[in-house]
Amino acid sequence: MRHVRGFDVVRPLSIGMLIFMMLPLVFLPLASIFIFGTSNGLDKFWAALMQPEAIFALKLSMATSFWATVFNVLFGLFAAYVLSRYNFLGRNALIVTISLPTAIPTAVAGFALLLLWGPYGTLGRLLAPHGFQIMFTAGAIILANIFVTFPLAFGVIKPVFDTMSRSLEEASATIGATRWQTFWHVTLPSLRGAIVSGALLTFARAVGEFGSTILVSGNLAGRTQTAPLYIFAKFNEGQIEAANAIAIVLALFSFLIFSVLFLARDWLDVD
Amino acid sequence: MVKAKETLIPRIVEPASNIPTSTAAASVVGLSKKFGKASVLENISFDVAEGEVLVLLGASGSGKTTILRIMAGLEMPYTGKVILHGKDVTELPARERGVGVIFQSYALFPKMTVEKNIGYGLRIRKRKRKEIRATVNELLQLVQLEEHRKKYPSQLSGGQQQRVAIARTLAYKPEVLLFDEPFGALDTQTRVHLRREIRALLKKVNVPSIFITHDQEEALELGDRVAVLNVGHIEQIGTPFEIYSRPATEYVATFLGAANVIDAVVRQDCYEVGSAQIPATVDKEKFKPGDCVKIVFRPEDVSLNRGELVRPGLSRLGKAIIEEVAFVGAYERVRLQMEVGGADECKTDETPYYLTTQPPERQSTKSIIATRPKPEASAIRLHVGERVVVALTSFTVLPSKGAN
Repeated sequence: MRHVRGFDVVRPLSIGMLIFMMLPLVFLPLASIFIFGTSNGLDKFWAALMQPEAIFALKLSMATSFWATVFNVLFGLFAAYVLSRYNFLGRNALIVTISLPTAIPTAVAGFALLLLWGPYGTLGRLLAPHGFQIMFTAGAIILANIFVTFPLAFGVIKPVFDTMSRSLEEASATIGATRWQTFWHVTLPSLRGAIVSGALLTFARAVGEFGSTILVSGNLAGRTQTAPLYIFAKFNEGQIEAANAIAIVLALFSFLIFSVLFLARDWLDVD
Repeated sequence: MVKAKETLIPRIVEPASNIPTSTAAASVVGLSKKFGKASVLENISFDVAEGEVLVLLGASGSGKTTILRIMAGLEMPYTGKVILHGKDVTELPARERGVGVIFQSYALFPKMTVEKNIGYGLRIRKRKRKEIRATVNELLQLVQLEEHRKKYPSQLSGGQQQRVAIARTLAYKPEVLLFDEPFGALDTQTRVHLRREIRALLKKVNVPSIFITHDQEEALELGDRVAVLNVGHIEQIGTPFEIYSRPATEYVATFLGAANVIDAVVRQDCYEVGSAQIPATVDKEKFKPGDCVKIVFRPEDVSLNRGELVRPGLSRLGKAIIEEVAFVGAYERVRLQMEVGGADECKTDETPYYLTTQPPERQSTKSIIATRPKPEASAIRLHVGERVVVALTSFTVLPSKGAN
C-alpha cells in the first residue's frame, strides 16, 4: 500500500473514504430535503412556502433570533471586556458559567425557564398577579434563544480581547483619549471580525433552536410557532410538503451564513 | 478626573524648593516604586532641559521601563513626583498629561491609515478638520512619509512605523517624548541608521525626550546626557563623555563597554598595584594613604611599549607578558598578564558585578585587556609571550567595594 510506481495510493483512497463516510451522514440527508421538497414541482413548493402560518413562523424565527443575537453580542462584548481586563476572585468560575449553557440539553434549558418564569414558577408566581406573563409569548422564545446561544459570541470575542496588545489602549490613553474614545476608536475596530462572526454563529444557532422553544413558546400556530416548530407540527399532521418547504429555506439560510463566514474569513480576520 | 484635580491643589501650593530647576522641561523627584514588597525604584531624581535628550541606560530589571511608565501616567509611583514644565502631574491620569510615548512595538492602530493614526490625537481633541489636515500634512512631510499616507501600519517597514509613531505624538505638541526601547525590535543596521535619523529629527522639533535602552552604544550616541541605572537607582548621570571617561562607579565603568579593573592601595604619591606603582596623577584628593581602591581604565587607554621609555603624559603601570593577540575587525585586542607579584593587601573576593554586558572582557585580577587601532597594530607587531611595558593614557580611581 505504499507508493506504486511513484503514485501515492493512500492519498486518493483516504480522500475517497472520507467523502464516502460523510455521504450517508451529511450529504444525503441534506440532498433529500431538496430532492423531496421539489419533486412535486416548484409551484407546489412555492405554495407550501406562501402559507400564512409558514411565513409567520419564518418571520417569528428571524425576529426572535435577531433580538437574541443583539443581546448576546452586546453581552458577550461586555463580558469579554470585563473578564479579560480584570482579574478577580471567581473570574474563572464566571467564565465556566457563561460557557455552561451549550452543554445543557436544550429541553432542560426550556424546562428551567418554565420553572422560573412560568405561571407557577419561582418568579412567575409573583409576577402573574400583576398581569405579567412572559412564558408562551415571543419574549419567551427570545429568552430561550438567549440561553442556548449565550456563550457563542463571547467565545469568539474573548480570545481576540486576550491577544489584543494592551499597548494599543495605553498608547491611546497617552495620546489623550478617554476610556470610551479608546474603546470606540481603537478596541472596537479590532473586534469587528469577531463581532460579525460571533453574531452570525449566534443567529444561525438561534434560528434552528427547537428543544427549548417548544417548551416555552406554547407552539401556537400563527402566534408563537417558530420555523422549526412549524416543521415538526406539519410533519406530525402528515403535511410533508409544508414541512419540507420550510426545511429547505432553513437549510439554505444556514448555507448562506456559513458561506459568508467562509468567504469573508480574510476580512473577518483580526490583526 | 475630578478627584485627581482636587488632590492636585495642595501640591501646587507646596513650596517650590524641592522642584529642582525652574528651567527643566520635565523632572522626576524622589521617585520610588514597589511591586508588592520588592522595591524596584529608589529615590530617582533627574531633570530634562528643553530640547534635551536624556537616555536612561540600564540592564533589564534596572527599573528603567517603570520610570517611563510612571512619567507617562501608566503607573503610579510609591513616592515622588513627576513635574512637566513646572506643573506637578503625579496625580493626573495619562490622558491629561500630554506626554508622547513611543512604545517598543510602536502601538500603531492597525485599523487606521498612516494619516488617521497621526491625526488621532487631534481628532479626539475635536479640532477642526482643516487644522487636522494641515497638521497631518506638515508631520507627514517632517517624517517623510507623504507617499505612504493611505497605507495601513502593517504595510510599513519597522522604521516607517516608528516615524508614524513619533509623528502621531508630535501632532498634539507633547510636553515630553518618552521612547521605550524604540530600536529593540530592529536589526543592527537599521537600528544604527534610525537612531541617527531620529536624533536629527528630535533636534529639529526641539521637544525634550527621554529614551530608555540597554544598549550602551545607543545611549552614548543618542543622549545629550545619560543616566546609568542599576537595580532601581541611578549610578551616574552625565554627558556621554563624562560617564564613559570618568565613571563614578565600577558598575558604570563595566556597563559602558569593556573596562579593566585592578585592585590597588593608595600610597603617598602613587597607587600601588602589587609591587608596581602608578603615579597618583588623578583622584588623589579623594583618598588617604592605605585606602583600598580600584583602578579603572578602558582597553583603548592602554599603551604598550617594547622599551622602557614611556611617552610623557602617560602613566607607567608596569611590565606584562602578552598572552593573546586577536584581530577583531576595527582594532586588535591584546590580553596581557601583569608581572606585579607582591602581597595583595586589598585583594577583593571575585564576586563584584554580574550585570556587566561583556563579562569576558572585564578583568579584575592582574590580567588586563588592551586594544590597539589597526595602524598601530600593523606598525608594531606584538607576539604572544613577548614582554612589554604597560602605560595608561588615562584612568579613574574608585573606592574598593566595602571601603569608604
